Amino acid sequence: MIFRLENLIPLPMLEIPVVESRVWEADSFRFEPGMSYLVEAPSGKGKTSLLSIMYGLRKDFRGELFINDSNSREINDRQWSEFRKKKLSFIFQGLELFDELSGMDNILLKNQVTQYRSQKQIMEMADKLDIEGFLDKKCGILSFGQRQRVAIIRALCQPFEFLFADECFSHIDEENGARAMELIRAECNRQNAGFILTSLGNMKYSLDETVNL
Amino acid sequence: MKYLFSILWKDQGRMHLLWAMLGTVAGFVLLLSGIRFYENMNSVLTQNEDLLDPEYIIINKEVNIGQTLGLGAGGFSDNEIEELESQPFADRVAPFISNEFPISAFTRSKQFPNFYTELFFEAVPDEFIDVKSDDWDWSDDKKYIPVILPQDYLNLYNFGFAQSQGLPQIPKEMISMLQFNIILKGREEKATYPGKIIGFSNRINSILVPYDFLQWANGKYGYLEKNKPSRIILVSPDPTDPQIIQYIENKGYDTIREKLKSSRLNIILKFVLSFVVLIAAIIIGLAFLIFLLSLQLMISRSAEKIKRLHKLGYHHSEISRPYIIILLALLIIVTAISLVISAVISSKLARMALDWSLDVTPGLSTVTYIVAFGLILVMFILNASAIRLSTRRLCKG
Repeated sequence: MIFRLENLIPLPMLEIPVVESRVWEADSFRFEPGMSYLVEAPSGKGKTSLLSIMYGLRKDFRGELFINDSNSREINDRQWSEFRKKKLSFIFQGLELFDELSGMDNILLKNQVTQYRSQKQIMEMADKLDIEGFLDKKCGILSFGQRQRVAIIRALCQPFEFLFADECFSHIDEENGARAMELIRAECNRQNAGFILTSLGNMKYSLDETVNL
Repeated sequence: MKYLFSILWKDQGRMHLLWAMLGTVAGFVLLLSGIRFYENMNSVLTQNEDLLDPEYIIINKEVNIGQTLGLGAGGFSDNEIEELESQPFADRVAPFISNEFPISAFTRSKQFPNFYTELFFEAVPDEFIDVKSDDWDWSDDKKYIPVILPQDYLNLYNFGFAQSQGLPQIPKEMISMLQFNIILKGREEKATYPGKIIGFSNRINSILVPYDFLQWANGKYGYLEKNKPSRIILVSPDPTDPQIIQYIENKGYDTIREKLKSSRLNIILKFVLSFVVLIAAIIIGLAFLIFLLSLQLMISRSAEKIKRLHKLGYHHSEISRPYIIILLALLIIVTAISLVISAVISSKLARMALDWSLDVTPGLSTVTYIVAFGLILVMFILNASAIRLSTRRLCKG
C-alpha cells in the first residue's frame, strides 16, 4: 500500500500561519510500504489530522490523497470499512476503547470481526506488555497507560499493510514502551507493513525515516 | 455480534419500548378483531339464502299531495329509467306497463258466489315473474287470458273476507277452476274473454297478465292517456349492497323496506367497522411513532459508541444490524401476542354467537393474517430504514 499526498493540507490548517513543511502542500509526498516513519511535530501541527485523513475519517482537506493510485475521495464507505478491517490499523490517541467492556472484550470486539488472533496469542501479547492480569477488568477502571497497552494489542489483532500509532507511548513507562515498540516492529516486519508513529519529539526509538511536519 | 449487542443495548431505557409494544398490540387487537367481527357478521348476513339470491326490488315514487289533487302525474321518465339501469347494483330493470282501456270481470260459475268488479292489469317481462307455468303465454288464437294474482289477495280472501262473510275458503289448487269472464272495453269495440288464474305471486303485488297480451290489447283497445310507468322492477345480484338503499333514498323513491333490510344492516356494519378501523389506525400510528422515536433515542444515546465502532472498521450496516434484530424480535413478539389475543376474542365471540344460534367460524381468517403480517412488514421496513439512515448519518458525520 502506497500513500501519495499531492498539495494536501487540512482546511483548518489554512487558517494558521504557514510554516514550510515536508508534507503539507508538498507537490508530492509518499509513504512507502514496509517503511517506518516517525512524524514529529509539536501540538497543533496536524499529526492526528494527517493520520485521520489517511484513515478516511476526515475529508476536510485541500489537495489530493492517493492510495495505490486511487483517489481517496472516490473510496466509498464500504471500502474504507474493509481497509480498516484488513489493511489499515490505528492506535488512536484517544484510544477509543469501550469503558464498560473489559480489556479482553475490547480486544475481542476487533478480533471477532477479523478472526486474526487466537486467545493464546492475545494472552502472549498481553503478557509481553505486562497487562495480562488486567484484561478481565473493565477498561473504565484501568490507568491510561494500561489502556494504551490494551489499545496497542487491539490494533495488532488484525492484518494490516499500514499501522498508524498516534502518540501511543505517551503514558507507558520506558520498559513497557520498549517492549511494545518491539512487538509492533516484529509484527510490521512479519506482515511487511508500513508504520507511522507520531510524536511530540524526543522519541527514543529510531525509525527508518523522520518526518517533521 | 455479541459485543455489539452488549455495547449498544446496555444502559438503554427499555420502558419506552415496552410502551410502544403495548400500544402496537392494542392497535392490532382492535384492528384484527374488528376485521374478524365484520367477516363474521357478513357471513351471517349472506348465509341466509334469501339474501344471497338476487333480489327483485319494486321501486315506485312516493305519492305526493300534488298527484292527489291531479297536478302532474307520478311515474318514471325515460331518463330516470335509463339512469337506474346504469347503476352498478342493477342487473336488469323493467318498467311495469298497465292497461290503457277499462277492464271489468264477473264470475260465471254455479259453485262460486257472483262477483262483478272493475279491474286493472299490469305486466312485466316474464323473466321477472316468480310463477312458472306453461299456460303463461299469449297468442291471438288463445281462448282465455292467463292471470296471476298476488298471494296476498288469496290470503285476504281466505282468511279475512270469506270467513267473515260465511263464504267458502278456496285452496290454491282449486282456484284455476274459478270461472270468470273478463271484459275489455275499447272506445268502440268490446270483447269478452274467459279468464284463468294460473298462479299466485309472492314477488309482485299486482294483477298480472302476460306482457305480450297487454301490449296487444293496448294496441287494439287502448284509448286512455298513456301514463308514465309508475313502478319499476329491478333485479340486483347483491341485495346486501348498501348502494341500493342509498340510491333509492337520494332519489326520493320508495320501495318495500323489508327487502332491503340487509342492505341497511350492511351500511351500519360498514360504518361501525370504519370507525373501529379508524381508531385502530390512530393507535397503530401512534405506537409506530413511539417505536420509531424509541429506536432513534437509543441510537442517539449510543452516538459516541457508534462513531467509535465506525472508526474501528465497522460498516454502518453492521452497526445497525443489532437494532434491526431487536426491532424484528419485538415486532414478532407483538404480532404473536396480538394474534393470540385476537384469536381468543374471536372464539369468545363465536361462542356467544352460537348461543344466539348464529353460525360463526371461530379463530382467525386468512385476511386477518394477511393484514397483520402486511402491517408488521410495513412497520419493520419503515423502522429498519430509519435505523439504517440514522446510523449512517452518525458514521458519516
